[in-house]
Amino acid sequence: MKNRNDAVMGYLYILPSFILICVFAIIPIFMNVYYSFTQFNVIQSAQWIGLENYSRMLKDPYIVASLKNTFVFTLITVPLQSILALLLAAVLAGQFRNKMGEAIKSAMFIPVIASAVLVGTLWSIFLEPNGLMNTILSFFHIPTINWLGGKTSSLLSVSMATVWKNVGYFLVIYYAGIMDIPKELYEASQVDGASKIQQFFHITVPSLSSVTYLIVTLGTIWSFQIFDMVFTMTNGGPGMSTVTLVLTIYNAAFKSFNMGYAASIALVMFVIVIVLQALQRKFLGEGRDDK
Amino acid sequence: MIKQNKKTISYYVLLVVLLFNALVAVFPFVYMAVMSLTQKDMLDLDFSNTTFSFINYFKVIDGFNLLVNLRNSIIVTVSSCLLNAIICSMAAYAFAKKEFPFRDKIFGLYLATLMIPGQVTMIPVFVIIKNLGLMNTYPALILPIINAFGVFLIRQFMVSVPDDLLDAARIDGCGENRIFISIVIPLVKPVLVSLTIFTFITSWNDFLWPLIIASKPAMKTLTLAIASLKGSYSTNYGLVMAGSTFAFLPPFILYIFLQKQFVEGIALSGTKG
Repeated sequence: MKNRNDAVMGYLYILPSFILICVFAIIPIFMNVYYSFTQFNVIQSAQWIGLENYSRMLKDPYIVASLKNTFVFTLITVPLQSILALLLAAVLAGQFRNKMGEAIKSAMFIPVIASAVLVGTLWSIFLEPNGLMNTILSFFHIPTINWLGGKTSSLLSVSMATVWKNVGYFLVIYYAGIMDIPKELYEASQVDGASKIQQFFHITVPSLSSVTYLIVTLGTIWSFQIFDMVFTMTNGGPGMSTVTLVLTIYNAAFKSFNMGYAASIALVMFVIVIVLQALQRKFLGEGRDDK
Repeated sequence: MIKQNKKTISYYVLLVVLLFNALVAVFPFVYMAVMSLTQKDMLDLDFSNTTFSFINYFKVIDGFNLLVNLRNSIIVTVSSCLLNAIICSMAAYAFAKKEFPFRDKIFGLYLATLMIPGQVTMIPVFVIIKNLGLMNTYPALILPIINAFGVFLIRQFMVSVPDDLLDAARIDGCGENRIFISIVIPLVKPVLVSLTIFTFITSWNDFLWPLIIASKPAMKTLTLAIASLKGSYSTNYGLVMAGSTFAFLPPFILYIFLQKQFVEGIALSGTKG
């Protein structure tokens, strides 16, 4: 009796979430695969066109540009934000386990709670040719830079703003990781006469390897999904210099109403993200202790 | 080794470096708040001839109907936080403490959906919402926010609730639903707080989904509204900054009061990946 009740209750308790997950995650994945083989503008029903969307993708300069930009953007942001977060966390955990350190940590977390839209809006204003950034740089006699107007500088500017927003987040994760390293390791090496810098490279960095993998792969997945920031800062411009995968999906689907084509790009992005996550699991499989 | 009680030069050098970083993180927000009180059309640091007032706030709130957007954001955020906490903890309880056929298979399916980025499914979800006639409605803005992450997170905490405790309650004649509400839920309160803060920030800051689903001005959320501020007011920096400050205040005030829970709640998403 009890077992049957248990089973009925179990199903009833998972029912609401099960419906939502089916409707908003599982069914859409299959629909997306189907749409990717069709021409579809929402108003008329989808027309099967086979692999046409995929062959079109190979010739589309926007796809090439978005793939390239997304990769470059990832290669800039991920190492920068990870290294910066690690160094700051190490310094904070090493010598600033006090009120001052806490205050600095809290301040650096503020950009994390702000929306990417807000951050993008603020930075796009600051980086205008006669904006705050150039005003500050002129104090140091650095000539005016057209941050968001140049082909190279625009992608760099979006990357910079992203790093600025993310550092506080990864800092907190690294900080928690450093707190978990046994104190004895440091004490023993101090007896052996190791300097702080030696300790950093021989104890802190190796002990944090699983945290680092987490931060690198998480950062990579985030970078692949970049949208809000480019949408508010450059909207892909100038030219195609800051178009990204998600921006191209959005434009194809909701500007050109070419849902089928957008679905095929989304599927390619999904495959890339799955590969990245498989790598994440491979590297984190062991050293990671789930909370 | 001599114990280093004295603060060395290196301490102060590092302190300066850290303070510089903290300044870089905070300064744009301070500048935003200060600019929002001015009528300046130049973005510089010269405030010598400036008068400060709240006039921009009245202008932007009236001219842009930001109170409507604020109301939408509050409705969407509060509902998604509540629904997410309720629906996820129910499922988590079933997965942690109930025996039923295919339980582990279904849970595996839940976990697998965590690997799907929302941007990948947004086109079919848009089509589903449109076919259900839910465009420009609150359910369309709220329901897709609920996902398996909360189930996964809460389940990990519920597994450690001892079965003996639940059995004891059963012997005392406690009904199954009451066990869930009055015994299990209070025991996992800390993780519910973290999840709720995480949901709050995700939902309040969400942009792409509302952009697709809320085309009517009356349904736009605050985050969506401020994205178009700059286009409308271009060089009227005071107004843009006032609108942005207005949108940032609710999460910022919560952060001030619940700092520790905020950091924990948001860092939790690291496990989501």
